[in-house]
Amino acid sequence: MKAGESGTGAPRQPWHPMSIATLINKQNRDGGWSYVRGGSWTEPTVYAMMALLSAGETPAAEQGAAWLRSIARRDGGWPPCAGVDQSTWVTGLVALLDPEVMGDTAHRRAVGWLLGTTGEESTTIYRLREWLLGNATPEGDRKFPGWPWVPGTAAWVGPTSISILALEKEYRRHPASRVRERIDAARQFLLGRACDEGGWNHGSSRPLGYPSRPYPETTGLALAALRGVRAPQVGQALTMAHRFLDECRSADALNWLRLGLRAHGELPAGYCTPSGVEYRTIPETSLDLVMTAAEQGHDCFWG
Amino acid sequence: MTAAAAAAVLASCKSKAPAPIAAAAAPVELPRVSIVRAPAYDQSLYDTMRRIVAEHRPDVRGRSVVLKPNLVEFEPESSINTHPLLVHAAYEAFLAAGAARVEIAEGPGHRRNTLDLADAAGYFSTIPKFEEAFVDLNLDDVTRVRPKTQFSRIEKLYLPNTVLRADLLVSMAKMKTHHWVGATLSMKNLFGTVPGAIYGWPKNVLHWSGIEECIADLHATYPRQFAIVDGIVGMEGNGPIQGVPKPAGVLVAGGDPIAVDATCCRIMRIDPVRIGYLRLASGNLNDIAEQNIAQVGESIRTVATPFALIPEFQGVRLV
Repeated sequence: MKAGESGTGAPRQPWHPMSIATLINKQNRDGGWSYVRGGSWTEPTVYAMMALLSAGETPAAEQGAAWLRSIARRDGGWPPCAGVDQSTWVTGLVALLDPEVMGDTAHRRAVGWLLGTTGEESTTIYRLREWLLGNATPEGDRKFPGWPWVPGTAAWVGPTSISILALEKEYRRHPASRVRERIDAARQFLLGRACDEGGWNHGSSRPLGYPSRPYPETTGLALAALRGVRAPQVGQALTMAHRFLDECRSADALNWLRLGLRAHGELPAGYCTPSGVEYRTIPETSLDLVMTAAEQGHDCFWG
Repeated sequence: MTAAAAAAVLASCKSKAPAPIAAAAAPVELPRVSIVRAPAYDQSLYDTMRRIVAEHRPDVRGRSVVLKPNLVEFEPESSINTHPLLVHAAYEAFLAAGAARVEIAEGPGHRRNTLDLADAAGYFSTIPKFEEAFVDLNLDDVTRVRPKTQFSRIEKLYLPNTVLRADLLVSMAKMKTHHWVGATLSMKNLFGTVPGAIYGWPKNVLHWSGIEECIADLHATYPRQFAIVDGIVGMEGNGPIQGVPKPAGVLVAGGDPIAVDATCCRIMRIDPVRIGYLRLASGNLNDIAEQNIAQVGESIRTVATPFALIPEFQGVRLV
C-alpha cells in the first residue's frame, strides 16, 4: 500500500530537531528568516511561513508576509534578499503562497512575473543572435521554455519545477489558457532533460555528450512538478526516487523526494525519515515540517 | 608579479607570441611557488603544510584566514574534492603561524546540501569540530561588489561577507582538468565564493558572462590570496566531475595564484599560455613564463606527469 494521494498512512513521530516553536524563535526582527544565521532571505522565509501556516501559527507567518511585501520589486518579482536589485527564481516560491497570505495584488504580480520570464535560450533576441552567428538553436528551446535561476541565463530543472508548482496551484484557483500552456510547455522541458538512467540532474541530460547523473533533490522536485503526468521518464524517475529514498541521508534531498513520491502516490505508507538525518538550515527544517503536515492532510503545495 | 608585468610590457610591444623574458628589467622579485612531493594523504601532510606556510610567511599573525576547499560531489572515493586531511593540515598550519581565526568556507556549485556533501567527503570525520569552523558560502550574507577588472560582462557581484572580510583567502583547489576551460586550479576554485542563494545551482550567470573572463574577474576581486593546489591525487580526462583519478603526488602553493596555476599547468603538461583565464589575468604572457616564476622545492621537470585531456583540449598540450 502506498500513502500520499489518499492522505492515509500510519501516524508517525518524526524527529524534529527544530520544532515550530524554535522556528518562531529563529524569526528575525524584520519578520523574515535567514538560511542559518544572519539577515533575512526570501527562500527560507517562504518555507518557514509554509511550515507555520501548516501548524496554524498565523501571526508569525503574517510577519513573514509583511517582510516579503516590503522587498517586492517593481517588476512584480522578488529578490533573493533585501538589497539585491534583481528579481529571480524565488518569485516562484512567493507565488506558491496563497493570495490570502500575500495579498491579491502581490500574488497576481508574482504570477505575472513568472509568465513573463523564460530561460534566455528561449528568447527571440537570443535565438536571432545565435542564428546570425550560424549557431544551432534547438526548436525545443523555443517551444518548451523553462525558468532560469536569474533572468538572462538558461533555464534549469530546479527553478522550472518550482515555477510549475506555483502555476499549477494558480491554475486550480483561476483556470486560464496561458497558465495551462506555460505549465504544459515547461513539463515538456523537464521530460526532455531526464537522465538516461532515470531522474534529473540540474539541466541537460548529456552536457558535452557525456551522460549526467541524477540527483535526489532535483529528481524529487521534478517529480512533484510532473504530478499527474504519465510518461516513461516519470516511471523511470520514480524507480530512481525510491532508490534515493532508501540510500540518501540528506535532509534537503529527502524532503524533495517525499514531495515527489507523494505527488505520484508512491511515498511508502507510514514513511519515517531515518534517524541520524541532520536538519541544519531553516529550509531543511521547514520543509520537513511542511512535508509531515502534508502527509497528514495539510497540504501547502497542491492545496 | 607587478614588477614582472612591467618588465614584460616592452617585450609585448614587439610581439604577441610567447616571448623570452626581458632580462634587462630592474631587479625583480619573482613570485615564488613551492612544489612539494606528497605521495599520500597521511599524517606527514601536517608537517608539509607547516613548512609551506613557513616558507612563504603570509602575514597572518593576529588576522583572519578563510580556507576555501573545492567541494563538488558526494563521492568520497573519487578525486573530485579537496582532501579533508590536507584542509585540516592547512588549518593547523595557519593557526600555528599565528592566525587569530581560521575558517573553512565553500559554496558548491552543484549540490545545495553543502554540509551533507562535506560529511560524505570526510570533512566531519577528519576535522574536529568541523561544523563550528565551517561557513556555507552559498547561504552567507552578501555585499555588492564591483569587480576590479571587467573581462566579463558582470558589472556587479554579490559576494559572501565571510570571504570579503577575510584578511587572507586561501584557495585550496584540486588539480583537475576541466571540460570547458582546460584546467581547474586555484583561480577557478573561486567560483565557489559566488553564492548559490543569489545565483542558483549551478551558478549559470558565470557561464553566460564568460567562464574564463569571470575567473579572471573573480581573481582580481580578492586582493589578499594564497593558493594551495592538491595534486596528490588529481583528476584527468573529463574533469571536473566525471574524470578519473590521476596520482601526481604533489602539492603546489604560493602567494600568487596566477603563478601557482601556471606552474600546475606545466606539471600537468598543459601549456598555461593556452589557458584563457591565465592569459587574461596575467595581462601578458611574460608573467606566466616559467622563467618569471621562482620555483621552490622540486623542479617542474621532476614531478611533471601528463594529465589526459578530452579531444576538445588536445590543443593545450604542452609540447
